Amino acid sequence: MSFLLLLLQDMALAAVPALGFGMLFHVHPRILLYCALFGAVGHGLRFLLMDRFLLPIEWGTLVAATVVSFVGVYVAQSLRAHPKVFTVAAMIPMVPGVRAYTAMLAIVQINQKGYSEALFQTAVQNALQAFFTIGALAVGLAMPGLILYRRKPVV
Amino acid sequence: MAKPELDESEQRDVTRLCIQSGLLLMQHGAESALVESVIRRLGLALGVGSVEVAIMANALTVTTLSGGHCITTVRRNEDRGINMHVVTETQRMMLSVEAGQLDLARAMSRLEEIKPYKYPRWLVVVLIGLSCACFARLGKADWTGCGVTFVAAAVAMAARQQLAHLHFSPLVNFFVTAFVATSVAAQGLIYKLGETPKIAMASCVLLLVPGVPLINAVSDMVKGYINTGISRWTMATLLTISTCGGIVLAMNVWKVWAWL
Repeated sequence: MSFLLLLLQDMALAAVPALGFGMLFHVHPRILLYCALFGAVGHGLRFLLMDRFLLPIEWGTLVAATVVSFVGVYVAQSLRAHPKVFTVAAMIPMVPGVRAYTAMLAIVQINQKGYSEALFQTAVQNALQAFFTIGALAVGLAMPGLILYRRKPVV
Repeated sequence: MAKPELDESEQRDVTRLCIQSGLLLMQHGAESALVESVIRRLGLALGVGSVEVAIMANALTVTTLSGGHCITTVRRNEDRGINMHVVTETQRMMLSVEAGQLDLARAMSRLEEIKPYKYPRWLVVVLIGLSCACFARLGKADWTGCGVTFVAAAVAMAARQQLAHLHFSPLVNFFVTAFVATSVAAQGLIYKLGETPKIAMASCVLLLVPGVPLINAVSDMVKGYINTGISRWTMATLLTISTCGGIVLAMNVWKVWAWL
């Protein structure tokens, strides 16, 4: 499959969870479309950065979240709603859920089966990557406030 | 410009409106910076001299100062679940007050009119099922695996809604939901459905990832609200542990070990 098709597939697959979780967070239908749109853009951008520019997942996530949050500010001002209302749902496809659970399950295994180097390695590596990716997501979302809107509210 | 001073009953009403708006935001999953800024802007727009806000994990304190008189009030905060519609409407009320379109009385009635927006339960069930199926596909599962994930996640979501409806603690809810999801997905492994049953098992519990508390936790801490940030992070960790408990129990019941 060509790269463009892969990218489009990645974006489409990310748009659905962003929309679904937008519903779970009770985002109003009029704003829900932006959840899907930004979910697709964010995840697609991260895919592009990791695949073509060989960025590690944490940096790719940071850049993607930053771009989404800056564009989100402009949309938010026209919607008269805080950007977090739709950008958080859009970030959900990038949340490292499997990593977090794997780390936790490895810790459970260490308790049940006793310590082993392999299990400990799984736990620490997954937990660290989950931690840094979530940090990158949240810091990326906070970027407009940290850089442009330092002393004034976004909306 | 010197503001006209409010009399005591007006100041009391402004304080009540401020804390009520802040409480709505906190209960429905807004980050601390937004809570504080909405309360402060609302109070200042309605004519008090200054507004001070102290946000704790499960309580909110607001003090307004007008003409040398303080009014302080505290409300207990209980989590009502994430509802971005309430957050949006509360903020729009504040923006209208700031623009001079609403006076105090109308702002209060507007706030009382805010009702949590709800999607039909079946629609959320279907879309969360589809979402987890997409996660499975992103994790390179085959179509059968995606189908198993869809069914497992949809059944789990229905269970989660029912448990939330019955007012179970989120910790209990997540434990049971993770058990249900993993139990359904485990059948894929037992009956050897498709080539990638393990990915299905990992993906079907992704509806339980506490994404909003985690993101809010980090943004709170980045913006200086270390206290609420830590408590949000702790709650998210507890929810993850509870989910893992459900997964482990289900895997032990069905005698499959799919994760590590």
